[in-house]
Amino acid sequence: MPSATLLGQALISGVLAGGMYGLLALGLSLSWGLLRLVNLSHFALAFLAAYLTYELGTNYHVAPWWSAMLIVPAMFAMGLAQHWIFDKFKVNELASLLITFSFAIILEVAIQLYWTADYRRYETHYSTMSFKVGPFYIPVLELILCLVAGVLAWGTWLWLRKTYVGKALRAAAEDADIAAAYGVDHKKLAYLLSGMGAAYAGIAGTFIALIATLAPAQIWTWLGVVFAVVIIGRLGNPLGALFAGMLIGASESIAMAVLSPAWAPVVSFSLLIVILLWDPEWL
Amino acid sequence: MADLLAIEGLSAGYGRAVVLSDVSLRLAEGEALAVLGRNGVGKTTLIDSIVGVTRRISGSILLGGRDIAALPPEQRAALGVGWVPQERNIFRSLSVEENITAVARPGPWSLQRVFDFFPRLKERRHQAGSSLSGGEQQMLAIGRALATNPRLLLLDEPTEGLAPIIVEELLRVLTALFRDEGLTGIIVEQQARKILPITHRALILERGQVVHAGASGELLADAAMLERHLGVTAG
Repeated sequence: MPSATLLGQALISGVLAGGMYGLLALGLSLSWGLLRLVNLSHFALAFLAAYLTYELGTNYHVAPWWSAMLIVPAMFAMGLAQHWIFDKFKVNELASLLITFSFAIILEVAIQLYWTADYRRYETHYSTMSFKVGPFYIPVLELILCLVAGVLAWGTWLWLRKTYVGKALRAAAEDADIAAAYGVDHKKLAYLLSGMGAAYAGIAGTFIALIATLAPAQIWTWLGVVFAVVIIGRLGNPLGALFAGMLIGASESIAMAVLSPAWAPVVSFSLLIVILLWDPEWL
Repeated sequence: MADLLAIEGLSAGYGRAVVLSDVSLRLAEGEALAVLGRNGVGKTTLIDSIVGVTRRISGSILLGGRDIAALPPEQRAALGVGWVPQERNIFRSLSVEENITAVARPGPWSLQRVFDFFPRLKERRHQAGSSLSGGEQQMLAIGRALATNPRLLLLDEPTEGLAPIIVEELLRVLTALFRDEGLTGIIVEQQARKILPITHRALILERGQVVHAGASGELLADAAMLERHLGVTAG
């Protein structure tokens, strides 16, 4: 059995790593839960944003937060363009899975053509920075990621509950025809939400560039675990996505510490199955 | 008074089925119209056609002089068509208050005024829509439609499935809306004797066509007509 310090460190690292799951799950959960569109290209958009951050940082020496000012709005525009296709061809839930899978493949190939299949690493002096609290190390970048994910999740949750647009979106997600008959212009709201989801992928991409090693095939690395996060966190629930991300991150990390690293991937899906079978009231 | 609603030669249905055939009606500002008829004669189709959720085959629907027949439902709602559907269709995952504020538009019917009108909804404002009883859901459906500040309020069988005591309460609400507040509206109902005293005019549909149109008071007094078209006996 590992020491309490090791377990504590594993828990902290896991929760912080789970912030990335939550951040990636946020946009996916919104489009799946509120628009009934399962957007697999979300991961590819995040990686495109990561590569762009890498490109601007290494070749043009643009700091990642400045890159994000350009990339996030560009991703928002890509989200709108993608939704135009969904709208024009009246894409349903199942078809969205297939179509966005194709988008993801196209983006993966495009990334590979431009940046090749080689591994890329965006080296910054702060990527390995950390500080110590008692016996535990806290990585600065992952902490910032978690704070950003937390602010976005809380902000989106409040937006969905307190604003007219948010409530109208939730009403339309439940019954689009009835909402329309009460004057809710679901189509316009769906564009906004698609743009937001893609912008969130852009924000996630900025952090991916700083934290992860980039390769085109990495697009699919987080697919399974983030899907589990979206479902455990409940579709369309931003706070749920964040907490589920941290729960899975912490569980994986502890499994790695107690058992072995090979067990980590089993954890997210085991948790998903247990929670689906248990079906607790708070879900 | 000027006509708020003018329907001319409306034929409409769902899919390939034609339910309404050449229906015309006019409704003045401040007037309430009862639409009566047996089951399956096209009463709901008439309401749905004004809302914009049927397939229109021919005819025009003028609201305040503007033809809305080709507009999608959200634009009709924005122009002032308020709807209380037969199934009520409360947003179950939204709270009572959110059901109202999600669709509210500026006007005299604020959230507070809706709550003043339906104190029970105010008590339950934070509860989920799904937790309400049938009568409360109907009140919420009406309150939600009022909060859109409609020029024309359409109610589709509002008393259906409600306990007699709740029906009486609902009729008091409808009387207040259409007699005291002077709202313009159409009420589709099976219970002719209960709704006729509230409305100014009435029409009877049979097989998708208007077979009678006149003052509500006169129809209420005409036992033979009620018996013939609606199977309503005196009492």
